Amino acid sequence: MGTPNVTIDPLTRIEGHLRVECEVTDGKITDAWVSGSLFRGMEMVLKGRAPSDAFYVAQRICGVCPISHGHAATMAAEDAMGVTIPNGARIVRNIIEAAQYLHSHILWFYTLAALDYIDPGKALEANIADTHALAVAAGTTTSNFQAVQDKLKGLVAGGQLSIFSNGWFGHPAYAQDMPPELALIGVAHYLEALEMQAEASRVIAIMGGKFPHFMTSLPGGTAWVPTEEKIDDILFRLMRVRDFVWNTMIPDTLAIAPFYKDALSYGGGHGNFLSWGVFNRESMEMKDRYMPEGAVFSGSLTAETANPEAIKEYVKHSWFTSPTGLNPAEGQTVPEFTKYDVNAQYTWAKAPRYNGKPMEAGPLSRMLVAYLRGVEPVKAVVDKALGALGAPGKPEVLVSLLGRVAARNLETAVVADWSLEWVNELVAAIKGGDVKFFEESTPDAGAGAGMWEAPRGALGHWMTINNGKISNYQICTPSTWNIGGRDDEGVTGVIEQALIGAPCIDPERPMEAARIARSFDP
Amino acid sequence: MAHEDRAFSDQLAARGVSRRDFLKFCGSVAAMLGLSEAMVPTIASAVEQAAASKLTPAVWIDGGLCTGCTESTAQSTNPDVAQIVLDILSMNYMETIMYATGDSAEQALKDTVEKSKGKFIMIYEGAVMTGWEGNALRIAGKTGLDQIMEVAPNAAAIIAVGSCAVDGGWVKANPNPAGGMGIGEYLKSQNVATPVINLPTCPVNPEWIVAMVVDVLFLGKLEDGSILNELDEFGRPKLIFGQTIHDNCPRRGHFENGEFVYKFGSAEEAKGYCLYPVGCKGPQTQTNCPIVRWNNQVSWCVESGSPCIGCGRFNWVDEGAPFLDRFRQIGIGAGSETGGYDPANVALIAGGVVAGALVVHGIGMKAAGRIGEGPATEEMKDHDRKRMKKGGDK
Repeated sequence: MGTPNVTIDPLTRIEGHLRVECEVTDGKITDAWVSGSLFRGMEMVLKGRAPSDAFYVAQRICGVCPISHGHAATMAAEDAMGVTIPNGARIVRNIIEAAQYLHSHILWFYTLAALDYIDPGKALEANIADTHALAVAAGTTTSNFQAVQDKLKGLVAGGQLSIFSNGWFGHPAYAQDMPPELALIGVAHYLEALEMQAEASRVIAIMGGKFPHFMTSLPGGTAWVPTEEKIDDILFRLMRVRDFVWNTMIPDTLAIAPFYKDALSYGGGHGNFLSWGVFNRESMEMKDRYMPEGAVFSGSLTAETANPEAIKEYVKHSWFTSPTGLNPAEGQTVPEFTKYDVNAQYTWAKAPRYNGKPMEAGPLSRMLVAYLRGVEPVKAVVDKALGALGAPGKPEVLVSLLGRVAARNLETAVVADWSLEWVNELVAAIKGGDVKFFEESTPDAGAGAGMWEAPRGALGHWMTINNGKISNYQICTPSTWNIGGRDDEGVTGVIEQALIGAPCIDPERPMEAARIARSFDP
Repeated sequence: MAHEDRAFSDQLAARGVSRRDFLKFCGSVAAMLGLSEAMVPTIASAVEQAAASKLTPAVWIDGGLCTGCTESTAQSTNPDVAQIVLDILSMNYMETIMYATGDSAEQALKDTVEKSKGKFIMIYEGAVMTGWEGNALRIAGKTGLDQIMEVAPNAAAIIAVGSCAVDGGWVKANPNPAGGMGIGEYLKSQNVATPVINLPTCPVNPEWIVAMVVDVLFLGKLEDGSILNELDEFGRPKLIFGQTIHDNCPRRGHFENGEFVYKFGSAEEAKGYCLYPVGCKGPQTQTNCPIVRWNNQVSWCVESGSPCIGCGRFNWVDEGAPFLDRFRQIGIGAGSETGGYDPANVALIAGGVVAGALVVHGIGMKAAGRIGEGPATEEMKDHDRKRMKKGGDK
């Protein structure tokens, strides 16, 4: 085991708090430790409460993906009660979830990640006419590039850099051959994306009252009843977001990617992938989901059936004294801080394993599983992207930093198309007489699980009910899969392994490490 | 000035914000502060002047959070988050969106605290985590408590955004596993006197943040109480948190008429009836959500068909759960659809037990002669006519 000599704490532009430590030897990362720095205890708060309360409270574990947590909590309650939601409610939930995916992925790429690939300082040197020409040539949208550049110049001249204070301008890990014009396009779209992620979340607000933290996907269905005007409003906004994704976000991705082809050669990690599947079809089966369930193991290009019973969570290196190696259905949460020591305990995250293996969660997992299972729209966009990257027919190149970034953006395009399909499906269902949106139920006892996918990956909620109250609750979040540290055998976690082998050309400013950790949208 | 005005307009135009949108933003600030439309040009000019001169530095500190309040702020449209952090404030530290990371980010925070001592605004999101001597939250190799104590005593003012920052929120709910508490209470325990403005709800509504920032920066002074939106005894701006949701609810008429939703997803919901029987905490919750609404005013909780869960109340999870039960389950009345609940008795039950506001309407319904007779509907209620004659029910 190595010794950390490079630290990123806090890792910014993520949800919540994270510490990343690396051992860097001769410009390469040779070991890594990732520490979840916050414990709140959601599972303990939910004990003893009404099963329907889990929907409202559990989603507040994450302000970026509350829809997915709300849905997983509600599905766990429904599973425990033996309730099947009406078909109309299924479609409504798919649309709300899709809107969150669009919101989350746009926010991630532009607001959180873009500054890792585009040096905003370089945009100052761009020629405006050339920027327009480049935008047209790249097939992306044009903007008032002059005004954006003036704004940047004003910030620099005024000496108040605000959120750009102390950024790594001019870092050597930025693609040195990227033209300043592309940087300016990136900065302009960074600003425009703010409106588009907000537009996507307005769809959630129409159907769920507000975002973050929505109100309507209660156990049994949905409290929101679609009306003609509201469906029309949703459709308009989703079409606007879809246009942005296909005409700006995808061309931007394809324009920037060639400058970072070296990122196809590192950042992959263990190479095991897990998806529980998301977006139900009428069958409500996990294998039937638009994004189907599946587990893919390193070196294999086949998707196996994903089984929640194969999970065990280890705590030897975490600040918990609960028994190690429990399945979440019988899981426990007994926190006890000792001290921060990478050789003993160093994180508030448990280390989940699937059949003993660390599994990556996220869009790359979903897209690989869907690709291997032959989901048509996924195959179409992935094949197109592989062609653009010069690796046709080789999905394995996606197991890398650049592949992970591309997978998230490509998924956005697929989900944007599906979201419109589902609005039409909802209209057709209502016309066909599907006007029921809620199924009553009164739970007394039972146990259930809600296996789902947040934008950032595989998510499970487990609920046990006794005497009408929650007697046990466990959550295994996508970030737990990704940020979890070493297991009891000392095997590294998912981000830890993805960091190992990556370059680190400036240990004072470990840009590549930050990029890799952020690529998981932790 | 004319030149600077144009520069500001250009900045807005660069982000697709028209002059009209900007004035709309000023209008929403005015509304939040209880000002007339006549004040809009004053607010516009104050913001423009600030944009043209040195911006007030601000730091956004993340405590034990879900990042939902930052997310909520990112959904603000007039102004959008870029305007907030580039044109109204100089947001030198904000973990979720700032360019810098790691030591470089920490240096930006340190620089602000040192160079702008007593002059910067601190926005605090999330609960203060006191568990394990503060190790429930660790940042930059120290505890979250250490970070608070380095920053808070040097700030000019603190805005606590969201229920977790105000009083611990869900993090403090029983059994409060990690020692969550509000920033105001924590600072009091440490004898830190920096004034705290409390903006509860889960998450916070960004329009309130913007209104209070504009108020504190441009319109009045917090230290002498000359801000336009005075604070109540809990540090909440009175004009935002002075009335109940029930007072301003668009579904209120249905409450008066005895028209209720008893089942989610029902025909009654499609008609927008009152959600009181399915647990609405609107009568117990003081915020102006029905007026300000959410996500660029597109909707709000009750409009979407959900009862208010009271996320703006103090200790809201323990006070409000189970959320689908009424404030108190009285359990009288028979033959109803939801466990012994008799719609005709709502006013009697509520009037006897709940809030003063409900007593008034109980009397109204009694006067209408409807108690015990079920919710007959008519174009105008007898009690409405009487109230109109008397000039309202106060």
